[in-house]
Amino acid sequence: MQIKQKLTKIVGAANVSDDPGALLSYSRDCSLSTPRMPNYIARPKNTEEVQAVIKLANESGVPVVPCSSGIHFYGNTIPNMGGIVLDMRRMNKILDVDLDNKMVRVEPGVTWGQLQAETAKYKMMGLGPLLPHPLKSVLTSHLEREPMLIPKFEYAGSMVTVEVVFADGQAFRTGSACVPGFPDKSMAEGVNPGGPGYLSYQWLVQGAQGTMGVVTWAKVKMAPKPRIDKTFFIPFEQLDDAVQMVYSIQRRMIGEECLILNDVNLAAILAKKWPADYENLKRVLAPWTVILVSGGGWRRPEEKIEYEEDGLREAAAELHIPELPTSLPGLPGIERELPGILRNAWPEKKPYWKFAAKGASQDVFFYTTMDRASEFTQVLSQVAAESGYCIDDIGVYVQPMEYGRSCHFECSFPYNPNNGDEVAIVSNLYAEAAETALGLGGYFSRPYGIIADMVYERAGGYSAAMKKVKKILDPNNIMSPGRLCF
Amino acid sequence: MSIPKEAYQTLQSIVGPEWVSDDPAICEADRYCSLSDPTDEKRRPGCSIEPSSTDEVQAIVKVANRYKLPFVVTSTFYSSGTYARKENSILIDLKRMNKLEIDEKNQYAIVEPGVTFSALQADLFKMGLCTFVPGCGGQASVVANTVNMGDAPIGWRHGLGYQRLLGVEWVLPEGDILKMGSLSNANDFFWGEGPGPDLRGLLRGCAGHQSKLGIITRIGVKVFPFISEELEPSGWSYHTTMMLPTNRFKWYNIRFYSHEDIINAMFEIGRCEIALVVMTVPPIFRGVARSRGVGCGGFWEYWKEAGPKLARKQEDLRVLLYGIGSDKRLEYEEKVLLDIVKDFNGSAREAPCQDETNFMAADAICANVVGGRFASEVSYESINQATRYSKEVDKITDAHRPPILQEYNTTDWICPYELGYVAKMECLRMAAAEDNYALQEWKRDVEVVCAERGAYALVPNSDVFGPVWGNYPEKEDKIRAAFDPNHVSSPE
Amino acid sequence: MLKVEEYKHQASTCVRCSYCKMVDLNWVKSSRFSRQCPIDVRYRYNLYSGHGLLHAALAELDGKLDFTPKLMDALWHCTLCGGCDIRCKRNLDVEVLQVIETLRCRCVEQGNTLPEHKMLAANVKKSHNIYGAAHGTRFKWMPKDVKPAAKADILYFVGDPSCYRHPEIAQATVTLLSKAGIKFMVLKDEWSSGHELFATAQLELAKEMAEHNIQAIKNSGVKTVITSDAEAYKTLKVDYPKILEKSTEDMPYTVLHITEYIDQLMQDGKIKFNRKVAMKVTYHDPCNLGRLADPWYHWEPKYESPNIAVGKKWRRGYDGIYEPPRNILKGIRGIELIEMDRHHDNAWCCGYGGGVGVAFPDDAMWTAGERTEEAQLTGAEAIVSCCPNCKDILGQAAEADSTGMKVYDITEVMLRAIR
Repeated sequence: MQIKQKLTKIVGAANVSDDPGALLSYSRDCSLSTPRMPNYIARPKNTEEVQAVIKLANESGVPVVPCSSGIHFYGNTIPNMGGIVLDMRRMNKILDVDLDNKMVRVEPGVTWGQLQAETAKYKMMGLGPLLPHPLKSVLTSHLEREPMLIPKFEYAGSMVTVEVVFADGQAFRTGSACVPGFPDKSMAEGVNPGGPGYLSYQWLVQGAQGTMGVVTWAKVKMAPKPRIDKTFFIPFEQLDDAVQMVYSIQRRMIGEECLILNDVNLAAILAKKWPADYENLKRVLAPWTVILVSGGGWRRPEEKIEYEEDGLREAAAELHIPELPTSLPGLPGIERELPGILRNAWPEKKPYWKFAAKGASQDVFFYTTMDRASEFTQVLSQVAAESGYCIDDIGVYVQPMEYGRSCHFECSFPYNPNNGDEVAIVSNLYAEAAETALGLGGYFSRPYGIIADMVYERAGGYSAAMKKVKKILDPNNIMSPGRLCF
Repeated sequence: MSIPKEAYQTLQSIVGPEWVSDDPAICEADRYCSLSDPTDEKRRPGCSIEPSSTDEVQAIVKVANRYKLPFVVTSTFYSSGTYARKENSILIDLKRMNKLEIDEKNQYAIVEPGVTFSALQADLFKMGLCTFVPGCGGQASVVANTVNMGDAPIGWRHGLGYQRLLGVEWVLPEGDILKMGSLSNANDFFWGEGPGPDLRGLLRGCAGHQSKLGIITRIGVKVFPFISEELEPSGWSYHTTMMLPTNRFKWYNIRFYSHEDIINAMFEIGRCEIALVVMTVPPIFRGVARSRGVGCGGFWEYWKEAGPKLARKQEDLRVLLYGIGSDKRLEYEEKVLLDIVKDFNGSAREAPCQDETNFMAADAICANVVGGRFASEVSYESINQATRYSKEVDKITDAHRPPILQEYNTTDWICPYELGYVAKMECLRMAAAEDNYALQEWKRDVEVVCAERGAYALVPNSDVFGPVWGNYPEKEDKIRAAFDPNHVSSPE
Repeated sequence: MLKVEEYKHQASTCVRCSYCKMVDLNWVKSSRFSRQCPIDVRYRYNLYSGHGLLHAALAELDGKLDFTPKLMDALWHCTLCGGCDIRCKRNLDVEVLQVIETLRCRCVEQGNTLPEHKMLAANVKKSHNIYGAAHGTRFKWMPKDVKPAAKADILYFVGDPSCYRHPEIAQATVTLLSKAGIKFMVLKDEWSSGHELFATAQLELAKEMAEHNIQAIKNSGVKTVITSDAEAYKTLKVDYPKILEKSTEDMPYTVLHITEYIDQLMQDGKIKFNRKVAMKVTYHDPCNLGRLADPWYHWEPKYESPNIAVGKKWRRGYDGIYEPPRNILKGIRGIELIEMDRHHDNAWCCGYGGGVGVAFPDDAMWTAGERTEEAQLTGAEAIVSCCPNCKDILGQAAEADSTGMKVYDITEVMLRAIR
């Protein structure tokens, strides 16, 4: 039997495709990565089907590349060596909402919009990244370790336990979800991420870009949604000053969402009419804005905001910041809207904010400590200028992590994907910027495409250890081969 | 049998002759560690070695591989699994590696295994920062505890132990050095994940591997924002305490009508995101507190007398409110707490604003106060599981009593973390030293029942839990075989 | 020396928590000075600690371990400072120090006395002092203008170090008493207190010293003995009743350290320090005056299950003399007292005790150097202590590390403060 026939037997004819038109859409994404056609698309509806496809792939030595979102930004679902793309979007159920433990269990196809709508029914919210694309899968965000907007937790990610199908076809449940009878008949409720035993499997699966296994559901944390909010937009001329303010805020352990955006990014997010609003906002906004949402808790929300505001004022006074604006010029009412915007996916009907200016954007992001954000901004701007890129177009986003212990630093380079010159400039710039940042100690914890090569070249010991693990979990290297250092 | 002469001489050349010894007395003193399974045989190591750097550790491990000599690692001996199970083991004692560096602004510390929690905490306090000191005591090694367990009551606010791990430097069983997180690329410890798949997943699961996969020589560890006011110690050595500033902290002990109310109140406190510490207080804790300053014998004297009276009193909920940054915040937390107490028909009593177990953790109840005459089974899951688990364990205990002693109401302790996302439940059972066998039998029975009922235990017995937990030991065995082909890293 | 059953019980009760190596955790003030046990900090091997010695003791008792070179090295390098002992008694209550002392006795019984320690005994046998100096010169230091009374209510027990090595302390003490108008006597036939003999487990001769001095005190008719020597203080208060299987309260005398006595006089308004002494000082608590100075309670071991020591009174280091020296220093105009990171019952040993100063002077110097460094970091210009051997070794260490730190006995400071 041919692979296609076997796949058809597993997932049904309607869910298998080798039509070139269908394959083409999986061969490329929004990144500058080199396209590569898959041989088949399979759309499983449950774990058993995933297991069967993976067993088939393993037995046949055919690569399997999972994808869960309707859009991809980093080239990490392009089948570098062909094979079967396992499109998980049919598995899009929210399996359960666990209110006691403030967690929700989602299948891979669940999008952020879907999740936030469901959690809102319980006055809860998912802990997500900055304005995810409406087609973005919640699971993908967590597997990719995208940074959360709220730095008040001691974890950067809120994924707890998963079910993962390894290359041998075993559906393995991580952490305390491994117990017999989970979830309905067990004492355990799947809330402990560690183990079973002395390994933490979900750590090995996260950041793996589909190279270790296919996750079929994940239990992720929610947080209580603040009853009321007060939003502050604190303008700065210098990034260093904005960073000092964020350090001060985070050391006081106040606020919910907290981030720094430059004028380009903030304008792109807030512009309603393009390009007029965008251009106007870029003119009127301060070069840097610290956004802080003070959220009133579940009880006595006004009093919570009151003490947080006091703390904020104290921090501002220490840094000689005269005002703490709660509005933005030219955007009446934005302070009331913003918490809702930040706690949801980007609206489906609006052009995605990163692409709105020019049609596409290439991001360079890494972790560093906040005190180095300004240095990286300058250096990467210089690299951009030297590459012939207009530095006024660069979007910068600094996301403090875990009480400001470090930050996700992201430079976005919008470009016109239909303009060959711009594509070439950004393509060169991307490589150059990554190499420069890496050389200066920027830490690429989730390296994609060409950056992976740069990172693993510098981390020989890590690559060697990873290859040993990979050999155990995927001895025939069928899971997303050609990715990372595999 | 002894360590081959050539191997020994090589070890001497690595660390210098004064830092390796095969003197029987040196080795005898390194035979045991704390809290280990009493039924396991502990052998006197063949030699004891005290490296001072990662390079030396690496060289020692390579010698161990060359001569196929097993090695075991320790740094304070306050550990449950680091003892030699095989003849001719090299006991690697890391306490000379005690460098400590703190990045005050970015809130992390770089520590070697010889650094204890109390040492780190003392330096952090001066900077308005803190770490969390595990309940076993501030004399524990930060590295060992964090890679193995690392939880403590202030984890209610500051998360689980494993989350504190940032960059890690690790000498693998064959002597290769693995640098993880930002250390792999950026030569700094500020971030723990990756690059790519996060190999901290090899380092520890629910608990760590206790040197079965090599030796951790340095870690970056998160530290947390703290109050700027000083905590003042008070009292004499047998009965010291830490006075907490009353404008920043407030302890409440809260009595509810039922255990269910306690649990619901805990969940609600979590949803309201207040407090630094939330935990249940079984009557035995009250016994320990009241007999503080009279030692282990005094505790038993007190317990014999007061236990039956305490049996009529049920557990309390104990909450430490935390006004970091402002008086108003403390007031807010207090109002919210008292609202919750009212809603669940509890009665709250303010307790003295002092601490013996959370900031420096001077009293390790299980190990020390009851003098080792105990065993515990620890569940590590949701608050709901904690309650169910406790009931199961109670039933099993009844079948072993006597000689297991009376708990007087309950000795089970629920300590939730991360604002209630996960909770530790420690079921403590006690027996006289000569009745230790009964505790071991009790433990085995608890494991069997919990495996059947789908409970999640902290340190599972792989023979019992492996078959029902996705055969995880198979994966562990493969990992060990791949990373430790000579089977020298703390072999069993 | 513990009886075998009790010795075994104590040694086997250790749960290996390593608290014995630490400063009381609530009192840890810095990572640099967070540990308590000098041999642990210097030699690192676990054997060099209370915890390690307990295990070695158990193995030796069970015939699994001989007195190997390293065991003797660890055992004799211990300064018997007692830090491990009181730390353990926060919770677990193992008599760590008594186990170590008993292990020393077993070591000596098997003929393993160090030559330097044998020399102490030889000297004592020859001339009733550890230095072998002529017994007749014991009171040669007595200032001409001070005349001890032939009969008084107070007896000043001087001790070997102040008689022969640091007479300035004895001189300051008697001058001070004299200026304060206190009538006191000395024991004309004072012998060595035997402190070093107790420490080095040469108990037969130590007992002889005890019996002689007790009889001499009885003969003098006094009930109150004062001393400026912390070692002598602890020996008269603790070691004498202990070797005679009595309790401190059963002794025919009460022993007071000079600081206790003067502090009481200050409180009663009978002595006034009326001269300014402008100096920033830090106070070093001698182990023998602090955590080792709880009264001795004789107890015949009796246990009830699971671990109740029936009728036992514990010595946890809180009945020592901590505040009187501080009260005195605070009572002297111009003196600014700054505490080191480790103080009171958490004080780091000077390094001299347990026979270490005699047998291993380099080790004693190292330990003292740790202390002078700690003292220097307080910003003080001088260390004040209450024990001639503390003064001796700390003084040597301060001189060696060229910090300019001065070291005084408290009697010298008091003398400067009184007209």
